[in-house]
Amino acid sequence: RRELPDGGARPNAAQFKQLVVSALRELHGEVGAALPVDVLTYEEKTLSAILRVISSGLVKLWSALTLLGFYQNRRCAFRVLQTSPFLLALSGNSRELVL
Amino acid sequence: MVRFKNRYVLCEVLSDDPRCRQCIEDRAVGLAVRDAIGRVHGDYGLACCSISFTVKYLNAYTGTVLLRCRKDSYRLLCSALPFVRCLESRAQRYPCALNTLHVGGTIRTCQKFLIRYNRRQLLMLLQNCTNEEERQSIRKSLLSCSLTEEQSQSGDEEDDDGTE
Repeated sequence: RRELPDGGARPNAAQFKQLVVSALRELHGEVGAALPVDVLTYEEKTLSAILRVISSGLVKLWSALTLLGFYQNRRCAFRVLQTSPFLLALSGNSRELVL
Repeated sequence: MVRFKNRYVLCEVLSDDPRCRQCIEDRAVGLAVRDAIGRVHGDYGLACCSISFTVKYLNAYTGTVLLRCRKDSYRLLCSALPFVRCLESRAQRYPCALNTLHVGGTIRTCQKFLIRYNRRQLLMLLQNCTNEEERQSIRKSLLSCSLTEEQSQSGDEEDDDGTE
């Protein structure tokens, strides 16, 4: 799950994917831009999304997102909240699970 | 003992344009390769491969280039070589292609390979040759080509620019 704090502009889902791919292209070139990344969910209100990537590409994706600084000439930053190989684990905090 | 290990990539510059041969120089080739790595592998790949990147040897007559890079990033370099499409020097742009011949750990192994490879190329040229004098000169250069200890360049070879 990623969170993107921003000044004014709100990207929609396609623009968000474009942003991710352009970050990969800057850091890792054409090879990085060709990495298959899927945006599973995207909330425009909170600017948070769940991305899916092949496990060998996690390092490239994470490093590219960390080093992305600008969106439409405004400063922005990606904050990675949680990573997990299972989608179900992203839905709740398992430490506070009450049985 | 920890030491920096390098990989030496031997490539050949192929071009349709005969004027391209004159503009093969080490800075032009180095810039073209760096640019290709930057396009294919991005900032990270460019920085990774540029740590110990130089053009070690260049032969404009045969179009042979020897590049050096770190052992950890030679795969990035080799995968970016097919993306070198043109050489630029003195504000002239020539389309070209780089063919990888050999990857070795030392200059000496690349030199040995280059001598064997050139010998095989000369034999092929001998078969295609039409002129008797050219045949004689190829035979003479084949017999004289060897790895001598005093020379640091790769053996004595004569080149037949006419039949290339």
